[in-house]
Amino acid sequence: MRELVRSSNKWWSGAILLAVFWAFAAWTSTEPVEGEIAARSNAAVKDAVLDKKRVTVAGRDVTFAAEAFSSDGRSAALTAVESVPGVRLVNDDTRLVPEAKPFVWSAERDVVRVTLAGSAPLPSVRTKLLEAAKAGLGNVEVADQMGLARGAPPRFDAAALLLIDQIGKLKDGKLTITDDKVSLSGMARELGGREAILAALKDLPEGFSVAANEVKAPPYVFQAYKDPVASTLTLTGNVPDRNAHAALVAAAERKFFGEKVVDNLKESIGAPGSFAAVVVPALGALSRLSTGTLVVADREVKLSGDALYDAAAAQIRAGLGRDFPQNWQYKAEITVKPAAAPVDNTVCQQLFADLLAKARIRFESGKADLSPDSLGLLDRLTETALRCPTANIEIAGHTDADGDASNNQSLSEKRAQAVADYLVRGGLPANRFTAAGYGSSQPIAANDSDEGKAQNRRIDFVVK
Amino acid sequence: MIMAYVAQFFWGWLVASLLLGFAMGWISVVQRGEGVTGAWGRALWALVGILIALSVWDVVPGRFGYWLDLGLIMFGLYLIGCTIGSWARARVVARSMRKV
Repeated sequence: MRELVRSSNKWWSGAILLAVFWAFAAWTSTEPVEGEIAARSNAAVKDAVLDKKRVTVAGRDVTFAAEAFSSDGRSAALTAVESVPGVRLVNDDTRLVPEAKPFVWSAERDVVRVTLAGSAPLPSVRTKLLEAAKAGLGNVEVADQMGLARGAPPRFDAAALLLIDQIGKLKDGKLTITDDKVSLSGMARELGGREAILAALKDLPEGFSVAANEVKAPPYVFQAYKDPVASTLTLTGNVPDRNAHAALVAAAERKFFGEKVVDNLKESIGAPGSFAAVVVPALGALSRLSTGTLVVADREVKLSGDALYDAAAAQIRAGLGRDFPQNWQYKAEITVKPAAAPVDNTVCQQLFADLLAKARIRFESGKADLSPDSLGLLDRLTETALRCPTANIEIAGHTDADGDASNNQSLSEKRAQAVADYLVRGGLPANRFTAAGYGSSQPIAANDSDEGKAQNRRIDFVVK
Repeated sequence: MIMAYVAQFFWGWLVASLLLGFAMGWISVVQRGEGVTGAWGRALWALVGILIALSVWDVVPGRFGYWLDLGLIMFGLYLIGCTIGSWARARVVARSMRKV
């Protein structure tokens, strides 16, 4: 043993050669060792959910930088790197992804593209949202400006996917999730788009709510054009549903006795409230015009055209908005058609007869109140009366044979008087008119059918 | 584990250290002179001790740390080689002395 100790003093000289070996070994092995450790470390954290992953190796020391989405994920990734064979030390440059407060995500659509912006909670969610947008929008360009942040509300991805589904219904606009509140703005692509989006948002995951819905729809337009040359009334634009459609066309046919109704209406949702309650009286006003256009856009009614005589123009202007609900706007641009040339009494009688052959003056059932549906006809009768200034006219009321004869007599008189009053309000002198009631004494058809009775309930104009 | 990793990665250099040690041990038994003794010897052993301590506590960072570990491992194997060499040579010498 003593021998060994004594000879060990002489071992140092060999250490010089060993140092040379060591220098060679260090020279040739450092980079391969670093490369090997880097590869193993990267493999160890390959599947970890991390952002901005970076592994740098000096000797056998690993500097590991990454942004983790949870403390657990962070420590698991560190442990994985630490347990890589050959690693001596791990310098921990990891940190948690910053927490976004509030957590905001948005999808914005403009003319050319959809931009996803704000924060996504995980890279996988970000990819999922991006792919959903690309799949759902077809050829529209999708731009990704999303960053990653912690602090997303639970079920965030379900809510975001639902919103991405809605972006196709917008022409332009922005859908935003701020924590658990959803807000929407922009312009819907189609009528009813706003309602469709609202309906879809009922499926928002639990906890989410709609804070603001400022999506606008294109204006809900209804138009009617009365063309005196073609004798047509053309209806275009939108009606709320099939019932409203039928009711509107029926109302138009009652009011426009001389014109053919051309129905180009389309049924679509998104109509403003009280749509029918506004459009039907507005059509009544249009029916009093010689030529005219009615445009209803959202809650704005615009009526323009030529009235048949001065008093009618004034009545239409004053009466248009009278029955409209409060939040409706209206505008009447009514001019007066140039007066037609006067005619002699014979022609006058013929003109009255022609008009009354096309349609009858209607009253409220059992009463002497003029039906609003007959105002167009009454205006034409007034216009005709204005053309024959010398004629004295008897306005003769007739009823069918139903009911008590004296009641019929009285009703026919009152109805004749109501018509005479209308003509006087139109600017004609009262002394040119005689209102006479004949009850059921002068039938023009048999009173044994509804058809016949309807013909007998009439007002005749007799020029004297 | 470190040893296992280094052994696997660069066993050639380690074997070379061991063989060098064996050769040095073999020679040292019959070499004339005293070698490194006294204060120098103690200083060198103290230096080795310090380097081992640095290595064990991972004080030296990065590439220098790796080189230190590598040097110490090679040195350790060299010492083992020396010991075996010296012991073997001492036995050979003792047997030939008996024959004479």
